[in-house]
Amino acid sequence: MSDLEKRHEILFVDDDRVFLEMICELFGTWSKKTWQIHCAKSADQALEILKSGKIDLVVADVNMPVLDGVQLIRILNRRFPDVKKAVMTGLATEEKRAACLANGAELFIEKPRSADGLKSVFVMLGELIAWTPREGFHGVLRRVGLPDVIQMECLGRNSSILEVHNQQVRGRIYIENGKIVHAAVGDETGEVAFQKILALSSGEFHLQPFESPPKHTLEGQWEFLLMEAARVRDEAASQAPVGEPDETSEPVVAAEVSATVSELPSRVTETLICSGQGAALYTWQCQNINARVALLRQIGQQAKELGELLPLGNFDRLELQLPDSRAIAQVQSDRMVFVRVVSGENSQPKTP
Amino acid sequence: MKNIALNQWLDGCGIAPGMLGSGVRLPDGTCLTKNFNETWPSEQFDQALPLFAGALTMLSNYGFVPRWLTWTFAQGQIRIAAHSNGLLLALATEPNTPAAHNLDQFTEEFLALDFGH
Repeated sequence: MSDLEKRHEILFVDDDRVFLEMICELFGTWSKKTWQIHCAKSADQALEILKSGKIDLVVADVNMPVLDGVQLIRILNRRFPDVKKAVMTGLATEEKRAACLANGAELFIEKPRSADGLKSVFVMLGELIAWTPREGFHGVLRRVGLPDVIQMECLGRNSSILEVHNQQVRGRIYIENGKIVHAAVGDETGEVAFQKILALSSGEFHLQPFESPPKHTLEGQWEFLLMEAARVRDEAASQAPVGEPDETSEPVVAAEVSATVSELPSRVTETLICSGQGAALYTWQCQNINARVALLRQIGQQAKELGELLPLGNFDRLELQLPDSRAIAQVQSDRMVFVRVVSGENSQPKTP
Repeated sequence: MKNIALNQWLDGCGIAPGMLGSGVRLPDGTCLTKNFNETWPSEQFDQALPLFAGALTMLSNYGFVPRWLTWTFAQGQIRIAAHSNGLLLALATEPNTPAAHNLDQFTEEFLALDFGH
């Protein structure tokens, strides 16, 4: 059987037995038997079938007794996040559509009342089966610096490839489990390439899913790599002739992001990096360093108490979801880091 | 009545694969915890709930009043959220599991719970 003829396992959940029989027969024929259709008359029957682990798509009716379609979709979204989900209902309303889509359904369809309608539904479900969801988020960030993006990837212990390009150069920085392991631009690799990429004054970046780099050319802590790159860039800027800035010197990176990160900030508003003993190594817009260091120490102390009580392993970080921003406090034996980010483009956080 | 609804909600958290335990600290200091994994020590989880409450107080002393916070360790995450009625939620999950990925959804659900009067 070729890829084109690959069998797909589809589960229809509906308390209307006649409808299920019709769907089973029609869709089975139209798909030329490439769809293996399963039927469940209730949510609990559906969950039992789903335990087999081979279902590609669930199509659920909204109005069912005991557990309705919206509740079923919500449960499926938690327990079977990889299974595609569609909802079909005889009484479509905007409220139902919104509830189903908000709870994880990829498709909301009105139950067809004609042969043509059934054919349309068949085509739509076929498209949904063939659709491959893109991982991560996709959106536009403005006024974002490359160090901000790298910091968030490293703090989040993510693995990704940061692709950067402008009209002159194209470079790649490989981040593996929060460590910068390789950089390449043109023929150059390692720290030279990393510094060259970080020295770019404008361009675009894309966060791509991680692939193993051809080789590992960087090691050491990402904080120091960033600080060294900033120092090299500052030195180069101080030696450059003073003149009218051209268009490419605009210190703004407007970028389209397709990333595997869980959440990207629009703007980093505060950064503090210090040694494990609390000596500040790098600060940016941190108005009260002593207070931040004291906070990090207390977080470390509380994490230690929790770690002694619960089998959780080594502490990594504490994330705070604040009303106007998000903060990450990382406390390790050799370093403490505090980063605060604001999600709104124009919002200014109140710094405690 | 409030405890029945709370019990049901805490039990419901267990359907997500990777959820280790769920618990709530009531305003009077008593705790209600659920265990979804035999390796998860429920007694210690009970004892940890006052520590989480203490962490919130400590953060407020520094001017931070988070909607929720997440303690991330190598082998698990703990989400803490304080309801407006004084209940303190703690959810413990294994990392990189559906439960961990849905912590925001669980938290929003908890914060929106209305137990009536």
